[in-house]
Amino acid sequence: MTQELYFDVTVIGAGPAGLAAALAANREGAKTLLIEREARLGGILKQCIHDGFGLVRYGEKLSGPEYAERFIEQLPKSNVQVWTLSFVNVIKRENNESILTVITREGMKQIRTRALIFATGCRERTSRQIGVHGRHTAGVLTAGTAQYYTNILGKLPTKRCMILGSGDIGLIMARRLTLEGAEVVGVYEAKPTPSGLTRNVSQCLWDFDIPLHVSKTVTRVFGDARLTAVEIASVDACMCPIAGTEEIIPCDALILSVGLIPENELAESIGVPLDAKTKGAVVDEHNETLLRGVYACGNALHVNDLVDYVSESGEIAGKAAANETCCSRGLVPVECDQSLLYVVPQRICRSLDEPERIFFFRSARDLDNATLTITKGEETLYSIKFAHLRPPEMERLPVQLTREQLDGNLPLRFHLEEQTNE
Amino acid sequence: MSYVKRINRKLSARFSGRVSAREHDRVLYLEGELDRWDDVVAAGRMAVNRKKYDGLVNDIHFTGDVIPPMRLPRVQDDSLDGATPDVLVIGGGIVGCAIARECAKYDMQILLVEKEHDIAMQTTSRNDGMVHPGIDLIPGQIKRYYNMRGNRMYDQICSELDVPFLRSGQYVCFQGRAMAIAAFFGQLYYKLLGPRVQYLSKHEFFRREPNMSPAITAALYYPDAGVVSPYGLALAYAENAVDNGAQVSLDTAVLGMTIEGDRIVSVRTNRGTIYPKVVINAAGVFSDDVARMAQDRFFSIHPRKGTNTILDHKASVRMRTIVSSYGTSDTRKRHTKGGGLVKTIDQNTLVGPDAVETYRKEDFSTEAQSVAFVFDRQRATDPALHIRDSITYFSGIRAATYEEDFVIRRGKWTKNIVHAAGIQSPGITAAPAIAVDVAKMAADVLSETREVKPNPAFNPIHKSIVHVNELDDAARDALIRENPDYGEIVCRCEQISRGEVIDALHRSIPCDTLDGVRRRVRPSGGRCQGAFCGPLVLQLIAQQTGKPVEQVGKSGPGGEILFGSIKEVQA
Repeated sequence: MTQELYFDVTVIGAGPAGLAAALAANREGAKTLLIEREARLGGILKQCIHDGFGLVRYGEKLSGPEYAERFIEQLPKSNVQVWTLSFVNVIKRENNESILTVITREGMKQIRTRALIFATGCRERTSRQIGVHGRHTAGVLTAGTAQYYTNILGKLPTKRCMILGSGDIGLIMARRLTLEGAEVVGVYEAKPTPSGLTRNVSQCLWDFDIPLHVSKTVTRVFGDARLTAVEIASVDACMCPIAGTEEIIPCDALILSVGLIPENELAESIGVPLDAKTKGAVVDEHNETLLRGVYACGNALHVNDLVDYVSESGEIAGKAAANETCCSRGLVPVECDQSLLYVVPQRICRSLDEPERIFFFRSARDLDNATLTITKGEETLYSIKFAHLRPPEMERLPVQLTREQLDGNLPLRFHLEEQTNE
Repeated sequence: MSYVKRINRKLSARFSGRVSAREHDRVLYLEGELDRWDDVVAAGRMAVNRKKYDGLVNDIHFTGDVIPPMRLPRVQDDSLDGATPDVLVIGGGIVGCAIARECAKYDMQILLVEKEHDIAMQTTSRNDGMVHPGIDLIPGQIKRYYNMRGNRMYDQICSELDVPFLRSGQYVCFQGRAMAIAAFFGQLYYKLLGPRVQYLSKHEFFRREPNMSPAITAALYYPDAGVVSPYGLALAYAENAVDNGAQVSLDTAVLGMTIEGDRIVSVRTNRGTIYPKVVINAAGVFSDDVARMAQDRFFSIHPRKGTNTILDHKASVRMRTIVSSYGTSDTRKRHTKGGGLVKTIDQNTLVGPDAVETYRKEDFSTEAQSVAFVFDRQRATDPALHIRDSITYFSGIRAATYEEDFVIRRGKWTKNIVHAAGIQSPGITAAPAIAVDVAKMAADVLSETREVKPNPAFNPIHKSIVHVNELDDAARDALIRENPDYGEIVCRCEQISRGEVIDALHRSIPCDTLDGVRRRVRPSGGRCQGAFCGPLVLQLIAQQTGKPVEQVGKSGPGGEILFGSIKEVQA
């Protein structure tokens, strides 16, 4: 083992969130380390060769690798130390500092860091987690894996596939595989509405005549060594398959886009409290978790639909981690009822003088003419109207709040209500 | 009235004359036609009588469906044509592999054939990995004898073969006051039977396993129970056999035999005809088919499927060892020991299995209702069990005979065959002991034609692949400095390095599939199930074996992952 190294800020993960966090911490003058387990920087963006990245941030439509490059090219000019093919194995806490054991090709390294930023991204839900039964054959893969094979290796994992789940990666892959000459027999979604962005449904499915079947799911797969067919069935309101509606569809692959899970096993190992709704850490508006000096950002915090917000989230964490921003007057909890899927951050500082706080939220269902209210006890602090809200489309909401409004111990409550036409 | 007459009367009443029994040379044969498989099995169960007969052969023709034929390898060549091994072992499950290794202790030429693309592909890889203390077995059973002997051998064999084995102990829990008292007296009975057992009060049990159901009132503790990786052990046996001169031929199926008089003279395979002096039947669910080819069929296999579920490490911290509840395993009725909740050697909780009769010997499909059924039952032990904590589930097929016992013996009619057949639970536990005896029987058969001596060069020691994340930091650091590939993590969930994956591809038993690598070093055995590491492992296999990536399969030929380069593939 080499001698322990010290950093002010250490970022785990060099996808869009981690890159932005490391650069932001560096700009604030912190001695910063960026740790990436893969050989190349950029995270999942490396394999996202479609465009649409950076519209919010740069006003341009970039591909994933182009977007990542905008950050990666700044690294040589910065003082950020970058370790690739480096894997954080164990984290220990000591006096609000974190001690990391990192596995690298040069050996095991030990790092002490004042601030630690988790930018660990997310993983895909697997066929087993959604209960796909039948034979366990080759040809059942997640959309991200299919994307790796197609875009990084340049090899097709299917000639005729079915896509289960209408998440964005599934929609993107439906188009991508079609463009490469594979047949996509359809995208099947158990929910009554698609899970991906409206623009992806239109640009990836409608433009290529790929059928979308809602309220249908996979009940069984067939095949011996390789998948040969998939059984689908309609589902009822509880998402349970309806007997008698089964249909068997021949295909050689089942590609799953059935949700992303923030990867927080490392954060959990040091006791970072997670939000059951987001599956990410509970954070304040600086993306600091409830553990002092430990931050989370990007998709590890909550699954975003636009990379632009992921970068912003990284920057917030990086800047705060470098400056040791702390909430001297304590935190106010932020809660939401069942009309929302979640709100991030889950805490805000009482003390800060910046009046504008930024919240990210998703509605629990499709809503038209909805009003969002933020209340504290009986008092309504804020309200705003939305023409349309859909769960797949995350909302970014800047809210002006005064110090006085944040006094006391009552939580802020988010609530959504559809306007009835009068 | 003779037994056959009586049983014929019963069968006739139950199945309206469609089924009859006859006996010949201490074997009971059932004949007739039935259209429900459960009835076929029920007839066998009604008729079986191990005191009067050496075995029951159930020849009732099942008309309800087509019984699928045995899956055969795709390869056809003559690589084994004309081979004349002393011993031909048919089947590369744990029993066959252990036998090959024990045979290597004699100066015998050994050939093991396995029809799958890797060893330990079927029942051996598809069970709960328990080393049983021998709880539910009845004195007089062959499987009880081998269970007790095999269990005692585990420490030594796993140390010789460098296979992780944990004697973690097993709790059988009881609920209600009456049952707690019954448990107290039960331990006295078990003590008479053999396995070491200890009565635990509720208090003592919860001190050891605090997260189990509060309804538990007492437990029996069996300190001799343990866990092992069953395919890890089978692999180690096979590799040690090869290191000691045995030959293993994968993708090799036995298709027929030529019998002259009371001896097998040749065995036909898809890779040529073999002329062995002794044949060992370790063919698992197909052991009755092998016995038929050898004209030595005096037992029948009725396959019984079981499904197990593996939980995420995060949910697995709730328990430390093996815990089951009395009454959840249905041992008498369903003939399964039903491990209950098993903390595997890899520290995942395994939930299962159930027991479902099937006529499909290789039906490894899973059913949602099987998983749900098992979880429902095991909630008696741990009410917090939840299906959403699963990372995977799998099915295996038990090779059950109607006697519900192992067949470990020389041929009944054919002189140069030895059966290690009808092996179901506790087959993993029993395998080390079975192998010693079967190797001895094979040596006895061979010594009828020539002198058989011990193999002076036999080396019992096998070294497994080093699992780098089990080393302490200093040792791990030193290893990485020697070979940086051990410092490059390929599988993030289970922390498997590139070096370990490469090691898995260069062992005595060849490996060139994703599943093969997984069973050797566990990449994709974790919560992402290979979504991240699958493509990396695939590329490493291609690179190390010199194959194009398109030829790398999940579990073997036919299971390739990729179809070719983009732009070139035609849908």
